[in-house]
Amino acid sequence: MRARRGGFNTISTREKAVRYALLLVVLALTISPFLWQLSTSLKSLDENIYTATPSFLPEHPTLDNYAGVADTIPVWSYALNSLTVAAIVVAGNLIGATLAGFALAKLRFRGAKLLFGLFLATLVLPGEVTIISQYVTVRGLGLADTLLGVALPGAIAMLNVLLMYTAFQAIPKEMDEAAVIDGATVWQRLRHIGLPNVRGMLSVVTIFSFIGAWDDFLWPLIVLNDPDNYTLTVGLQYLNGTFANNPRLIAAGTMISFLPIVILFATLQRFFFRGVAEGAIKG
Amino acid sequence: MTRQRWFTPWLLVAPAAVWLMVFSVWPSINTVILSFTNAKPLGGGWFTGLDNYDRLLNDSQLVDALINSIVYMMICLPLLTLLPLLMAILVEKKLPGITFFRTAFYTPVVASAVVVALIWGWLLDDRGMINGFAQWLGVIGEPLPFLTDRWLLLLSAISLTVWKGLGYYMIIYLSALGNVRRELHEAAAVDGAGPVRRFWSITVPGVRNTMLLISVLVSVSALRVFSELYVLSNGTGGPGGRDMSVVMLIQLYSRGLTGHLGYASALSIVLLVITIGPMLLLLRLNRRGA
Amino acid sequence: MRRHWAGLAAVATALVVGATGGCGLGTPEQAAAPTASVAGEVTGKVSFQTWALKPKFTDYVQGVIDGFEKKYPGVEVEWLDQPGEDYSEKVLSQAAGGNLPDVTNLPPEFGLPLAKQGLLLDVAKADPKVTQEYVAGGLDAYRYPGIEGVYSYPWYLNTDVNYWNTELLTKNGLDPAKLPTTLDELIEQARTFKEKAGKKVFLMSRRPELLDLTNAGVQVMSPDGTRFTFNTPEAVALLDKYRAAYKEGLLPRDILTDTYAGNSKLFTQETVAWTTGGGNLITSLAGDNPGLAPKIVPSAAIGTPPLYVQGLAVSARTKNVPAAVALARWVTNAENQAAFAHLVNIFPSTTASANDPFFSKSDGTNSGDAKVLAFNSLAKAKLLTPVQVSDAMKTIVAQQFSSAISGDVTSKEALDEAVAQCDRLLKG
Repeated sequence: MRARRGGFNTISTREKAVRYALLLVVLALTISPFLWQLSTSLKSLDENIYTATPSFLPEHPTLDNYAGVADTIPVWSYALNSLTVAAIVVAGNLIGATLAGFALAKLRFRGAKLLFGLFLATLVLPGEVTIISQYVTVRGLGLADTLLGVALPGAIAMLNVLLMYTAFQAIPKEMDEAAVIDGATVWQRLRHIGLPNVRGMLSVVTIFSFIGAWDDFLWPLIVLNDPDNYTLTVGLQYLNGTFANNPRLIAAGTMISFLPIVILFATLQRFFFRGVAEGAIKG
Repeated sequence: MTRQRWFTPWLLVAPAAVWLMVFSVWPSINTVILSFTNAKPLGGGWFTGLDNYDRLLNDSQLVDALINSIVYMMICLPLLTLLPLLMAILVEKKLPGITFFRTAFYTPVVASAVVVALIWGWLLDDRGMINGFAQWLGVIGEPLPFLTDRWLLLLSAISLTVWKGLGYYMIIYLSALGNVRRELHEAAAVDGAGPVRRFWSITVPGVRNTMLLISVLVSVSALRVFSELYVLSNGTGGPGGRDMSVVMLIQLYSRGLTGHLGYASALSIVLLVITIGPMLLLLRLNRRGA
Repeated sequence: MRRHWAGLAAVATALVVGATGGCGLGTPEQAAAPTASVAGEVTGKVSFQTWALKPKFTDYVQGVIDGFEKKYPGVEVEWLDQPGEDYSEKVLSQAAGGNLPDVTNLPPEFGLPLAKQGLLLDVAKADPKVTQEYVAGGLDAYRYPGIEGVYSYPWYLNTDVNYWNTELLTKNGLDPAKLPTTLDELIEQARTFKEKAGKKVFLMSRRPELLDLTNAGVQVMSPDGTRFTFNTPEAVALLDKYRAAYKEGLLPRDILTDTYAGNSKLFTQETVAWTTGGGNLITSLAGDNPGLAPKIVPSAAIGTPPLYVQGLAVSARTKNVPAAVALARWVTNAENQAAFAHLVNIFPSTTASANDPFFSKSDGTNSGDAKVLAFNSLAKAKLLTPVQVSDAMKTIVAQQFSSAISGDVTSKEALDEAVAQCDRLLKG
């Protein structure tokens, strides 16, 4: 980010101290599951993890559990399957939700209101009992047992359409009107005014759809038949076998599947702020 | 006027509309049809008219579930509409190490349900930290039944929902905060407005649309709560099943090889009806405010 | 390309016809009840689905498959192992989509709805020798009321024995040499235990289930399997015992919301000193809490031990009956089952294994003792929970029993409500 000029943006030492204090309080509230997972995954087999007060620091830290996961299940090929599904879902949502969100927010056409109402209604439509009929549909399309079939239903999520709609709506009307008067085509308006101003929401949509695809368990389990095609979330279930149970191994597996999400989030979080205020107005 | 052919908007919404029809609207129509039958997942079953709806009226568990859902929404709605915004403001300013904090605040959203259940168990059960601490202080003699009493279990689940929701809604707010013009803040600061006044007079109006969307999302997902109650009650729904949500009831009836799709579908319709209410209300508020 | 158009057409038809697409109404392409015979050449492709055996038993299963392919050259087995969680949803989607594997591991309660829809092969008809070669308990688990036939090759068996944490027992004034053998003794000892232990650790933490009612002489279902009958005075008396014990503080509050596994979880955490579990509990604990494993002693279950059965069902729509039947028979034969039982404490369902000295002789370890105890219990073990009891019914029973034990409602009220709700689920 660019250096900011003085005045409003300089933070006094006192404010800084208050901010850090608050940040640490929230951190203490939110970080525990992550820490527990990390520390359990590093504990060796002879450390009892069931004492009344398990210690956060492993007695004899070891990476054996990670090696154990890699030995037990084909982590890499599962992760590749998950990535494939997630990539399709992210691409589908970025394109589909952006186009629809833009049209609904910025273009006038007959039926727009009705359509918007339908999109909004999907938030309340019950989807709980439909998973088997969903499977029958995907199977009917010839996509059973394929990663594309796993990705398909989530490839344009209605929530993301609404998020993009809200983001496009936040763009000041004057900017758009100027372009319209200049005779810009729809495509030009989307490219030069719309997109630069919704980067923040695009990264939110990316994260939401990535995580949705990455964490899903039941749907890939149902669509995929050959265990070789399984995604990571499904594959990790093998660590929880019938006659064997080792929470250290499961924690290591969970950490492995956690990592891509953290990396993605850390990479994208700086885009959250690339909104109107960040100079895109000139665009 | 703009060079826009009549079909251009339709072209843009077409993919989303197809998905809408195939993966949302069509299954819902299916659900409506099924709600008039006694269908089984493996086939068999016939139309039974209004039998399922008749049964709904005498389902005492549904009454409990509806009460739970409404309490859930009433508490979650204010907390999850405001707290994530405050959190977003807290992490908005670029300070050294802020990436770490932002990421850490988001981790509960993606933490595995098993781990979350374990940690909340340590916190809340009879031998857990909260009871231990309160007993040590002498505030309570006996441990409080956070995980087995009907209302305490509900409150525990609500805290879990709020805790998990903070990071989720925070990032939606973050992207909206980028659109609140800094000039407005600067001008207000020059006028001598303190941070609290600037929050109410500039930030909140600036993210108004997002706030509305978030309040819709919060209420819909509160009415549809499943995993928090499920996880904290080990899937049992508490003694007498009094801590079940409507979705837990739907799952109870629809899952498995002998699932009761008909009754579960009728329950889904009830859920649809109760979620429409708050949504329309919020939209009405929006129109009035605009 | 053609396939896609066919698919689209199918979806379009489904849209027009309404709710028929395997999502409820109508029967999913009924099986054309094949007059299957084992006769015929064992060759070609056959799919084989197991439940959560990877990765621990990958080598064993692969070995069995290799042996089969060697015995019948020209046959090719496609092995699918499914993860433990949500197996019922997986099987359901396979059955609804018409692609149930040729040979599938199904517990008896999964087999019933599939057999009702004509999706499973009657193996007793296809292979009459089945009834002599497998133990009656295993076969009975797959004989369903109202349907003629046996719908799986019985595979491995297990039962419950008691496990005690000796360290917790001695620390809290109990003698591991005098373990309780009845419920009353157990409650009595829990009282002694509590005097020393206070409220941090407990002896008992098991909420009663339907199988406890069967054990108390209650008939859970009517003989024809059409309604539930467990709201009897005997059942009330049993629940009242637990209710009193809970009020006295002999059981932790956790039992009100625990599932069947909750009890062994608390045992693993060394919060309770007693649990029930299969013959394999100590070995699986060794990977979880190795410090605890050596402190455990097993003893025979209180009352009639429950019988747990796994079986291999053959799909009624298999395109390769001879190979599917031969595979199911091969995997469940005495030799292959015995090899399995040497790896983990489970027990073969074949009559030929009954006299195998391996099972009746302990190697001196506590896990070996548990194996012998479990093996001896198997002779008396019975199916204590009717096969019609679904997961939803189990949840409802758990809710109502908890309600009674916690004192919210009387035991009679809870039992009446549970019976009413289970009946509705059964008929619904």
